[in-house]
Amino acid sequence: MFAEGLFIAFSALSVLGALGLVLFRHPMNGAMSLIVTMISLAGLYALLSAKLIFVLQLIVYAGAIMSLILFIIMFLNIQDSDLPEEKGRFYYLLGGLVAIIPIASFLIKLVKSIPESGTTIVGNGFGGVKEVGLVLFQDWLLPFEIVSILLLVALIGAVVLAGKRRMIK
Amino acid sequence: MEHTATYLGLIPLFPLIGAVVIGLLHMLTCKNDPLPEKLYGALACIGPLLSFFLAVVVFVHLKGMPAEDRFLVHNVFTWFAVGDLHIDMGFLADPLSSLMLLFVTFIGSLIHIYSIGYMAKDQNFGKFFSYMNLFLGSMLILVLGSGPVVMFVGWEGVGLCSYLLISFWSEDTNNVLAGNKAFIVNRIGDLGFVLGMSYLFWAIGTSGFDYLSLKANAPSIDPAIGIAVCLLLFVGACGKSAQIPLYVWLPDAMAGPTPVSALIHAATMVTAGVYMVARFSFLYSEFPIAGSVVAWVGILTALLSAIFGMFQKDIKKILAYSTVSQLGYMFAGVGVAAYSAGIFHVFTHAFFKALLFLGAGSVIYALHHEQDIWKMGGLKEKLPTTYKTMLIGALALAGFPLFSGFFSKDEILFSALATGHTGIWMIGVFVAGMTAYYTFRMIFLVFHGKPRVQDSFDHAHEPPAVMTVPLIILAVGAALAGVLNLPAIFGGNLNVSHWLAPSLIEHHPHMGIGSEILAMIASVVAVVIGIYIAFKKFGQGAEEPEFKGFAKWGYYKFYVDEIYNAVFVQPYKGFGSVISRFLEPNVTDSHVRFSSWIYRKAGTAFKVFQVGYVRVYAIYMVIGLSLMSLFISQSIN
Amino acid sequence: MIQDYLILSVILFSLGILGVFSRRNVFAVFMSIELMLNAANLAFLAFSRLHESMDGHVLAMMVMAVAASEAALALAVVILLHKHKGKLDTNVFSVLKG
Repeated sequence: MFAEGLFIAFSALSVLGALGLVLFRHPMNGAMSLIVTMISLAGLYALLSAKLIFVLQLIVYAGAIMSLILFIIMFLNIQDSDLPEEKGRFYYLLGGLVAIIPIASFLIKLVKSIPESGTTIVGNGFGGVKEVGLVLFQDWLLPFEIVSILLLVALIGAVVLAGKRRMIK
Repeated sequence: MEHTATYLGLIPLFPLIGAVVIGLLHMLTCKNDPLPEKLYGALACIGPLLSFFLAVVVFVHLKGMPAEDRFLVHNVFTWFAVGDLHIDMGFLADPLSSLMLLFVTFIGSLIHIYSIGYMAKDQNFGKFFSYMNLFLGSMLILVLGSGPVVMFVGWEGVGLCSYLLISFWSEDTNNVLAGNKAFIVNRIGDLGFVLGMSYLFWAIGTSGFDYLSLKANAPSIDPAIGIAVCLLLFVGACGKSAQIPLYVWLPDAMAGPTPVSALIHAATMVTAGVYMVARFSFLYSEFPIAGSVVAWVGILTALLSAIFGMFQKDIKKILAYSTVSQLGYMFAGVGVAAYSAGIFHVFTHAFFKALLFLGAGSVIYALHHEQDIWKMGGLKEKLPTTYKTMLIGALALAGFPLFSGFFSKDEILFSALATGHTGIWMIGVFVAGMTAYYTFRMIFLVFHGKPRVQDSFDHAHEPPAVMTVPLIILAVGAALAGVLNLPAIFGGNLNVSHWLAPSLIEHHPHMGIGSEILAMIASVVAVVIGIYIAFKKFGQGAEEPEFKGFAKWGYYKFYVDEIYNAVFVQPYKGFGSVISRFLEPNVTDSHVRFSSWIYRKAGTAFKVFQVGYVRVYAIYMVIGLSLMSLFISQSIN
Repeated sequence: MIQDYLILSVILFSLGILGVFSRRNVFAVFMSIELMLNAANLAFLAFSRLHESMDGHVLAMMVMAVAASEAALALAVVILLHKHKGKLDTNVFSVLKG
């Protein structure tokens, strides 16, 4: 009962946040809405017994990535005059809705075809650090290493991109 | 019935290997450091001499076998076997091909030796001998072939080498045009040959397309088809052996070096047509009417070219028309089903015509490439060996009694008379007289009387021994070859005819001894009259006359070349230019241009979608995704 | 029960696509992409809960790592673009036209 109420609250908040992202004009407002969505998603993860991911979502996503985005937005010192005039926004929205509806309905149909099963009780360790760690370093070792290389590449890329003072005239 | 002899394949192989080796050596060294001529000469003569040796071996081998059994076969490999058509690259040595082998290799070797002297100091010495060896190899394939298809391989090969050798001095465009003419006219004949061959295969060749099987199946051929095949094959022979209407290439072919004229256009290649008719004797003797057509075309060609020969002034052209005329005699012989007489005339003609050409080459060499007989004269003292040997050759050609030409020509004329072709006999006797006339006209103008151009006369000298020794050897052959086929009156045994009998299907006609002697006397009288007239007109030296009337027409060869040009060549060229100027740009090119235009327009049309905004590309992706999910959800339902 | 989570994931994903579709602002586009990644994460975790296996969690971690690196690089590019043209409009950059 309590869980259902939480679920409804968190999902409503996340959808509202997403709508805010799509509709707000200034990117700062959009970023704020996105943070709301992220936090409510973290709550949803907790409801799904994903303890580690819940924490990681809050730390990495809502904490690091969104703050990075906010930092950049503020760094560029965006005034209202810098923002593009998005005149045809609503028409594009409507067209997008038309394009989205087949995709969404197809996906929902797929989802509904999953056999409904009662919520099972999971063991205590499910979603905990130890469990995730065991699987990560036994079955998923190679992807783990490759992702670390990916992060290295991103690091080098960022340094290269931001490094040289390329004055492009 | 037939025996295998694996050395048969070597006979054409030696000259072919020689051709390849000499050709490679020449190509690799001619630019920077040319090899000594002696080396090329030695390499070039090895092939023909080895083939001559093997030809003698074949002859001895066959002589040792009983007469009905004289067939040696060697199948080198199966060329192709498709359905009913099974062709082996095979060689057949029987009496007919062994006789041809002997004189082809013998005279070929002599001419190779002669060419070492004649072509000395020529830049392309090595190339010449490569081509000559290639020619000899192809001729041997033609003669030794075990079936029409292998013969055709050699047939085409000698045509190619003829073209290569005629246009050997290719810096002069006229030589190249002469080579083109030879090849193209030959090709027209080849069309007839191929049609005849295909028709023959369709009629009786399905159980084996080599001579021995065809001979066995020949009686079962349908008469209409048989006559058609005979005539079509004869069209091919007309092209190769220069009969009416395809003789026009032979006089022009004199543009090539004289040894080439001697070997190819006198002794060997042009006799391939006669050999072919003799080979197919099993067909021609079934259909006498086809034989009559062959004989009449032959004798008319003899008459026409003798007329032309009487008025020419280039020494080689006189001999060229004489060759065409003698070929006409040979066809007259094989046409009246006297195959052995025709082949015997091929044999003797090879000797004396090669001799005459090589002698003419001697004269040309001595006078530094002067060929107009009205600029020669009195060379008797300066070139004694050449004079004596050419005199022997001329007597043989004219058919003077006791020389070889007399016996062979007489045999043909007598067979014509005996099979009832009196018209052919009469024209033959008349042409014999004309032959004597123009031959001795040439001899008297070149060697007797006073020199017409003093300068070249003073510089003339006898050519070196490498050129005169072959002349002497050939003169001996020209004089004495008649011994081989002496008719009964002279106490002989018709050895050649008996030797050839297993290869041919021949009926020997019989007329009384009296008519034979009468015929002989008639032809001797004609010959003597011809020599006498020539002596009266030219014996004491004469000046070049102005040609008027009939003589002028004769000199200009009745304008046949010009007529061919106007009727065939120019319209064909016009047709070609119509195609290239109107048909091609408007019909074919426009289609190609149209398709490229379509593609360009389509590309330009599709360019509209490439706007350059990344967001729009993302929109394209989403639209594609939604369409796909629509499609999938429909098909799930 | 799990279906509700999955339907929510689909809704969030569609909203992300709408964002990419209709916004011209560079930041808005970028943040919509992040929203889509989060929706995918939610789906992973829902399925992991359904099948009671840890693989979904691990994958969600991988997705987060990728998203982080992509965020860093994309923002660097945005800064460079802003320096180049002075505008934040995606329609200004049309060099690929034609």
